[in-house]
Amino acid sequence: MSTPISLRQTERKVFRAATNDGLTDVYLGCFFLMFVIAPYLSEYLGDFWSAAVFLPFFGLVWLLIRLARSNLIRPRLGGAEFGPARKARLRSFTTIMLVLNLLAFALGIFVFLNFAEMPLSTYPIVLGAMLLAGFSLGGYFMDWPRLYLYGLLTATAPLIGEYLWNEGLASHHGYPIAFGTVSAIMILTGLSIFIRLLRQYPISREEV
Amino acid sequence: MSPKSNEPDLSSLAGIDQVIHSPVRLMLLSYLYVVERADYVFLKNMSELSWGNLATHLNKLEQSGYVEIEKSFKGKKPHSSVNLTPQGRQAFRAYKKRMQQVLDDLPD
Repeated sequence: MSTPISLRQTERKVFRAATNDGLTDVYLGCFFLMFVIAPYLSEYLGDFWSAAVFLPFFGLVWLLIRLARSNLIRPRLGGAEFGPARKARLRSFTTIMLVLNLLAFALGIFVFLNFAEMPLSTYPIVLGAMLLAGFSLGGYFMDWPRLYLYGLLTATAPLIGEYLWNEGLASHHGYPIAFGTVSAIMILTGLSIFIRLLRQYPISREEV
Repeated sequence: MSPKSNEPDLSSLAGIDQVIHSPVRLMLLSYLYVVERADYVFLKNMSELSWGNLATHLNKLEQSGYVEIEKSFKGKKPHSSVNLTPQGRQAFRAYKKRMQQVLDDLPD
């Protein structure tokens, strides 16, 4: 049976083909490594510096990803510039994510200042909700269905972590185990997509 | 002799744009319609055509004024990118409209 041709679907297919190289998954996975390592570092460096030391790490990963895109992905997959509709969609996504991040920042400060008066379950619930919202918006605006799955994984990770910690099965609120699993899933997914693309599309020596 | 009023008028089939009507060129135009610009490597991967086939069809579209091809070098490697011209965009829309009309008019 043939599939009906739709220009909207074609645009989505083209967008996914141009952007779905797995490297964003690797970057996200590396980001969530912070939740795995920072709890251990905070014992020596304090809460602020244990997170701040990750900035150069994120910078290095971002640089490596840029290099991989320009030297390995672009020569194999080529490139496309998208139309006004997609650009407007990406602009909306950027704006909404900026607002969401500011909201998360404000909520973080609020929770930090009122930590003693709040039930312990507030922090993982708020963090989970923010992550679910962020990833779901990403899934919608970027047309990447697996971001919804990442949203669910990252939203449940703090809750599962807290549960494991309460049961005495994990240290540091269970974050290293829960977010480590999420991070590993993202990095492995990304790497498998990346390696598949490298194998599927060898660099062509010929161009007309 | 004029056709009877209840007989289908298939004369509109003759007016279909032959340049666009080829399945491969229609596919290439569909990809180019949804982007501002794409390079040859990208189009080749999307269409799964050979380099020669891709170049032949793109040249035909260029000769008709439907696409613009920009050839340059990235380092020592040739790099070509393609975009749909306003004329090509209009022709694609007109083709789509006409085909919809023709298919609607065809007898069951």
